[in-house]
Amino acid sequence: MNTWLLLLPFLLPFAGVPLTLALRKRRKIQSVLALGLMLAALGFTFGLLRAVLTTAQPVSIQMGLWQAPFGITLTADPLGVFMTLMSQIVLSAGLIYSLGSTEKVVQYPTYHPLFLALAAGLTGAFLTGDLFNLFVFAEIIVISGAVLTAIADDAYGVEAAYKYFYISTLASVFFLLGIGSLYIGHGTLNLADLAARIASAPSAPLTMAGMALLTAAFLIKSAAFPFHFWQPDFHAAAPTPVSAMLSSLVVKVGVYAFFRMTTLLFPHVQLLKTLLVVVGVAGVIYGGFGAAGTHNVKRMLAYSTLAQIGFILVGIGWGTPLALAAALVFTFNHALVKAAMLMLAGAMASRAAVKSASFEVVVGVGKHHPFAGALFLLGGMALAGIPPLNGFISKLMIFWSGVEAAQYIPLLIIGVASIVTLTYVIRSFIRIWFEPNPKAKEKAGDRLLAPALLVFLSLLLGVWAEPLVALSQWTAAWLGDPAFYIAAILR
Amino acid sequence: MNLLTALAIGILFAAGIYQILRRNVIRAAIGLVLLSNAVNLFLFSAGAYNGQSAAYSAAAAQISDPLPQALVLTAIVISMGGFAFVLSLLYVISTRYKTSDSDEVKGLKN
Repeated sequence: MNTWLLLLPFLLPFAGVPLTLALRKRRKIQSVLALGLMLAALGFTFGLLRAVLTTAQPVSIQMGLWQAPFGITLTADPLGVFMTLMSQIVLSAGLIYSLGSTEKVVQYPTYHPLFLALAAGLTGAFLTGDLFNLFVFAEIIVISGAVLTAIADDAYGVEAAYKYFYISTLASVFFLLGIGSLYIGHGTLNLADLAARIASAPSAPLTMAGMALLTAAFLIKSAAFPFHFWQPDFHAAAPTPVSAMLSSLVVKVGVYAFFRMTTLLFPHVQLLKTLLVVVGVAGVIYGGFGAAGTHNVKRMLAYSTLAQIGFILVGIGWGTPLALAAALVFTFNHALVKAAMLMLAGAMASRAAVKSASFEVVVGVGKHHPFAGALFLLGGMALAGIPPLNGFISKLMIFWSGVEAAQYIPLLIIGVASIVTLTYVIRSFIRIWFEPNPKAKEKAGDRLLAPALLVFLSLLLGVWAEPLVALSQWTAAWLGDPAFYIAAILR
Repeated sequence: MNLLTALAIGILFAAGIYQILRRNVIRAAIGLVLLSNAVNLFLFSAGAYNGQSAAYSAAAAQISDPLPQALVLTAIVISMGGFAFVLSLLYVISTRYKTSDSDEVKGLKN
């Protein structure tokens, strides 16, 4: 039973790729089938979470019945389930948005298969227990994301996809070099086995080189400062439902890998944690001011992702149980809020005279859409961290953990930089909803159901934060001792 | 043989990085192929010197490690798919921007 609970969240979207491709002539059935599969996968993920919570043990399968260090292991440990749950909630919202989207790209026969491939790649990356398998799933994510952006309505989608594909191929080169280096030093690719061997022989040849190469690869994947330069172009040019996924979930693959690296593979390397704090603080500053200086709503939100990833990396870098729990809460809340905000920005762009998210075009468009304005204001408050939204909980936990870890200088910097969030969110809200624009007319555009659901969830998790915080603290406690993970896989 | 392999990998990396930094998009694509082949060779060399014969065919002491070979096979397939995608992107870019100079492809700057 538990085996199926682990397989189905991944298998359903994966099987959906050829299924939806076969139904390419019947668009309506194709899109409903894609959404149905995603919702079913989400249901099974909840079941998986329940199974992991009740037994307090990860659910794992050895593919092809090869025993643990030799075969490929699929594992749902608390961290993996947490990230899978987050991504499947947002992916389902993305497919709901695609149903009501007016963009031409959602009519493409390959749109839904590619979207499901992205979903399968994300789920697989979070549930795999093997380093090379993680590389394969990361490649699935890269290719499906790049193709989805290349076919965007935006004329510059191809250019953005080109840029992204080059930089992420470089990241893959680093990733493979890192995998090779660790394999030379330790002769295994299973994460649990690798962790055990690194702990027993931390100075084996090429271990540090492997760590450095993996760090470079994941800094590019998570678009952290200074490896972010492709990210605003890429996230702004993608079709709205896809850019919501890219900015909220795809960058989290890098974040997930840093959780694994700092707690499981290299818990003894202090340098890596210090690096993450430095990179994170720089990202918070640069992303905040970058967002304040842009002329496009989607671009502004992409820069804001850079800042928010910075907060998460700082939390991972501090590495205390409370800071890890804070980083997890932040990761979850940011995914919901950022996806909702990008969808709202795209929905407003679809109602503008010319289809664009640039401020000159969308200014005043919101006058006829007060409901969207209310959602945007709530989402912006969550982004800036104002109660009673979930963003307040995540920022509170990060600051609290910084005080507890006595890291006052980074805390001061990110505290000041987070005020910038408030200014750019409010400025964009005023420009879209309150500035007069004679050209803006009432016009039908993308449906608002998906962002409304996500904003509702953000509000719910702000008012009733207890379950998410408890789950994060439990996950952080699990992450605190790598011996649990190793013992559970290699038993 | 060790030195030769190491030199070959190093030269491939150098050539790949040099080409990927060129402005011509086609040369950059060639650089990408060189880089992924350099990495494949590196992965392959990770298990090349532990034995000579194929797995399941000889006495246990001489069997070479089959895992790096499997990794290389997977990496080759992935990089081939990626390269096909890059070429199709280049085709669209060249018809849309009428240039092969990556400095001229700057629609996103405005």
